[in-house]
Order: sequence, then structure tokens, then C-alpha cells
Amino acid sequence: MGLLPDEAKVLPPPGIVNRNSVWFGLCGWATAMLHNSLNRRPALKAGVHRQALFITVGWFIGYHLTKYENYKYATLDRDMNEYIRLHPNEFPEKERKTFAEIVEPFHPIR
Amino acid sequence: MPLGRLLLRTSTVNKMISRNSFVASKPDPSKPNMLRVGLAFGSTAFLWALLFKQHSTDVHEYKTRNGLQ
Repeated sequence: MGLLPDEAKVLPPPGIVNRNSVWFGLCGWATAMLHNSLNRRPALKAGVHRQALFITVGWFIGYHLTKYENYKYATLDRDMNEYIRLHPNEFPEKERKTFAEIVEPFHPIR
Repeated sequence: MPLGRLLLRTSTVNKMISRNSFVASKPDPSKPNMLRVGLAFGSTAFLWALLFKQHSTDVHEYKTRNGLQ
């Protein structure tokens, strides 16, 4: 991992098929099709090698972006939980009421 | 010899960088540049292999670090 520190390896890695990969792959495919149409070639049938390459590059970037995103969210969660643990007086346990206590008694008029 | 004299040769030798109207041609879709196609497919396969290898390394690292295997 280039941009990620060693501790990020504790996190579960994203699947090969993940949200960012699919999106960036589709964007790459759209780029290749746009390139075809701007050069007056049939959009889907021309330059299949280019479409494949762009989809792959998008997929690759999406996978690493998902890993980076997971790490960033994990650090935020860890810092938040650590703050909650160190300042318990700012997070009092709220008294919970059931619906039976809040709702008025029901008198059916049939 | 001035540099301009040396650079006069480039249009015949280096057709990719210097395109003038004497050597340029319209790209012909019926004659694909197989080197470029081969490179594109080759780098596609390489990137997929790299992705799968990175994923399996990540899964293995995750399992060893969390003591699952």
C-alpha cells in the first residue's frame, strides 16, 4: 500500500467487486465510448482494446480508493470512540421510555 | 553544425512526433496497429493480475493480523 500506513492492514480488504470499482470502471467505459463517438467510430464495437484498458484502469483505481476510504473512516471511528471513552460525562445514558408509558390509554368507541 | 540542420532529419526518421503534410495519413480502421492493440490487452491482463494478487495478499494479511488463520 503506497499511501496507507501499516496499521491499515488490520482492516478487512474490500471485495474485488466494490462500489468505487464498478463506478470508476463504468466511467472508464464511458470515456472510451466518448472517445469513439468523437472520432466518428461506432461507439460500442470499435476500439475494444481501449474500452477494456479504460475499464481495467478505472476498476484498479476504484479498488485502491475503497481501501483508502475504509482506512479514513476507520480512523475517524477510532478517534470518535476514544473521545467518547475519555469524556463519559458528556455522554450521559438517556432514560428510555417504552411506548406504553408515553401513549395515552385507548378507549375504543365502536 | 547548427541544431536546425540536425533536426531536419527528424521528419523522415521519427514519424510519430513530427507529422507534416508530406508524411501524415488518416488513421485507417481496417489496418489496426497490432502493437498498440497487443500492448493495450497485455497491460489490461497485467493490471487484472496485479489486482487479484494485491487482493489475495490483503486477505492473507488481514487473516494473519487478526489471528483468524
